[in-house]
Amino acid sequence: MNNNAGPAGTPLLHVDRVTVRFGGLVAVSELDLDVPEGSIVSLIGPNGAGKTTAFNCVSGIYAPSSGSVRFRGKRLERSFTPGTILRALAVGLLTGLLFAAAAVDVDRLWMAVVKRGMITGEPFTMSGAMERLRGYFRSELAIDQMAGKWRVVSADGSDVLAIKRDLGEARLVRDALQAKVTARRTGPGTVPDATDLNQREAAAAPLVALPVVKEEVLDRLAAGKSRIRWRGWLGLIAGLLLGSAGTLAVWQRGRRSPHVVARAGISRTFQNIRLFSSMSALENVLVGLDRTIPGGVFSMLLRTPANRRAEAEARQKAIAALDFVGLSGDANRIAGQLPYGDQRRLEIARALATGAKLILLDEPAAGMNPNEAADLAGLVERIRDRGVTVLLIEHHMNVVMRISDRIAVLDHGTKIAEGTPAEVRRDEKVIEAYLGGEG
Amino acid sequence: MSTNRASRTSVPPDPSTGPWAFLAQRWELATLAVLAIAPLVIPALGGALGGQVTNLFIYCILALALNVMVGYTGLVHLGIASFFGIGAYVLAILTVPMYPFQIGFLAAAVIAVLVTAGTGLALGAPTLRLRGDYLAIVTLGFGEVVKVTLRNLEQITGGMKGLNPVPPPGAGVTVAGIDLGKEFAIDPRWFYYLALLSLAGVVLAMRRLENSRLGRALVAVREDELAAQAMGISATKVKLAAFAMSSAVAGLAGCLYAASLSTTADPNAYDFNRSIMVLCAVILGGLGSIPGTLLGVAILVGFDTVLAPWADSWIQQMNVNPKGLSYLSFSGWRLAIFGVALVLVMRYRPEGLIPSRRLASELRDGGAGS
Repeated sequence: MNNNAGPAGTPLLHVDRVTVRFGGLVAVSELDLDVPEGSIVSLIGPNGAGKTTAFNCVSGIYAPSSGSVRFRGKRLERSFTPGTILRALAVGLLTGLLFAAAAVDVDRLWMAVVKRGMITGEPFTMSGAMERLRGYFRSELAIDQMAGKWRVVSADGSDVLAIKRDLGEARLVRDALQAKVTARRTGPGTVPDATDLNQREAAAAPLVALPVVKEEVLDRLAAGKSRIRWRGWLGLIAGLLLGSAGTLAVWQRGRRSPHVVARAGISRTFQNIRLFSSMSALENVLVGLDRTIPGGVFSMLLRTPANRRAEAEARQKAIAALDFVGLSGDANRIAGQLPYGDQRRLEIARALATGAKLILLDEPAAGMNPNEAADLAGLVERIRDRGVTVLLIEHHMNVVMRISDRIAVLDHGTKIAEGTPAEVRRDEKVIEAYLGGEG
Repeated sequence: MSTNRASRTSVPPDPSTGPWAFLAQRWELATLAVLAIAPLVIPALGGALGGQVTNLFIYCILALALNVMVGYTGLVHLGIASFFGIGAYVLAILTVPMYPFQIGFLAAAVIAVLVTAGTGLALGAPTLRLRGDYLAIVTLGFGEVVKVTLRNLEQITGGMKGLNPVPPPGAGVTVAGIDLGKEFAIDPRWFYYLALLSLAGVVLAMRRLENSRLGRALVAVREDELAAQAMGISATKVKLAAFAMSSAVAGLAGCLYAASLSTTADPNAYDFNRSIMVLCAVILGGLGSIPGTLLGVAILVGFDTVLAPWADSWIQQMNVNPKGLSYLSFSGWRLAIFGVALVLVMRYRPEGLIPSRRLASELRDGGAGS
């Protein structure tokens, strides 16, 4: 019965020279392991041999320090797609806008764009708002109102240059002063601005007395334009870089997350049972089925017929899975209250429900008596007969020898033997590892 | 409305529709019916009491929002009030006459809810990898940041003055000769019904969430994040969903709050105290339990905003305390009673007053095992 594995070619799981180090401690060293499709492969060895570490490595909980794990010839990690970059850029843009908003003082921007539009009494229009927005970034002088009087103010409202009773007068003053500021901004030698300035001043002079504005205030106003733009761009770019780089870094670190591995088709149970202990047995299996249930949040909230059907189908499937492991009578019992052996079987049902092609069982028969262990061995064989490949860690030698197609033996993190049960049983090194060498 | 999925096939009865659950659901419907009829029978609800009970409903919505995070997903959230505040302020910005937008209540509420959900996502995305206490500290910090930001963005939020007047829902809308805006402004029962309706909607949504794929995933992540991931569940996405839903519902509560007060009040209304008050209500009532959460709010907030003022005015009427001594007024003892009650409940009923089926079994199981 040995090696009744699936088709030749790439094995389902290919572990290639995997080493896992925790600081200076080597838990698994240069492990090679092939699991052919449709087989039962066991990993055995004394306690602390690194079996569970190897499992954690395959299921994506640890990343190998070196070497690679391939499933159906592919590395199990999220692939780098254009979507990844787009998402990173989107997050970056959002961060950038946030930074820019802080840098240009969003509070004053709001005042300039929204509130000033309301003050003059004209109806609020989008084009007017855009005009004021541009004005804010160009640091153009603006008009606002306080206590019934019109004021000519700097774009951010921090400098008040003139106060007038009449809106028309205020406008004239604003234009004249703006021309002055613009002239200063473009430099003293520029002729067109100078004439423009003179003309405007001449036009305004008979109507209103231009206020005297200090030189340093004019300088500040002239410099304001470049300053606020510069701050805005700096914030935007800094945020964009920081946000995108951060998103990419996080993406990189989450690349080999266990759920990616699980979705690729590897599922597992845990040595120390990790059920969702306050949920019912049925719900546990339904969590395993999660990926196979269609429908999003809105169909759930509206409880559409499609959603009801999907839930009902999932429930049927979950019942079938419980039936398969022999727990059909316990569907509504709380998982944490099931007997120990049943909890192990429930964990297997949950893992199978994910639709995995490879299932990793970490000591499924631990703590069972010989009868229960024999039942379990039967269950593992039935799993294999369903077309699910099994990789097993087990200490019950009866179980291992009876059902395994191949056995790999680990000791102190290194593989010391591999072969059929009969071969492994005879291996000198294996006997030595289990019984202890001489001297 | 009922989710009566009778067992048509060989499937054993779904625990969520078993006889007990059905009773629980009818209990909810009965409560709803009583609350719906109450204003027609009790004239006091047309007065100040109506406003207080409306406030209670809004708190219930806020507590249910927090329950998604703390109860279902097991993420300790100490800044729920900030989302409440963001909802209130966005609604206010979109409706107050001071700003040019002045859109209708419904549209503004939808936008406010979307904005709070987005803010929740923005807070959640970078912080989800934090566990337990660390996330609690981040949310606590976020709450303070929001409060201070609301205070300091004076041009936008009106600083300590807040934004007002927020027009009542339906301002300018006339249905069958009734000016809704006016009605809302005059009769508190309109708000009572609006809040009750929203609360019923949120409860229904929560019920559906509990028995759905996403609801199970939330609980799975709470129970054992690694095992959930090994089942192909993206813990990050599930937690983000929890963040978004919780923030959105809290934002809805904020909208109702601002509209019912017709002001956002000052930013201190959205501080840590409110977050903790709501958290206490959820824990007192029973984490992850809808009726528990509602009861917790009814007891804690009801005590604070309905009973305490009433007891105070009664003491004054009886002329027991003519000198205004603080130890003779009920308010003076309010926090002490509050604290003692919480201690007692946590000592004798750690799973809460009406525990969720799931959590109760866990705690009792743990107690029996140790």
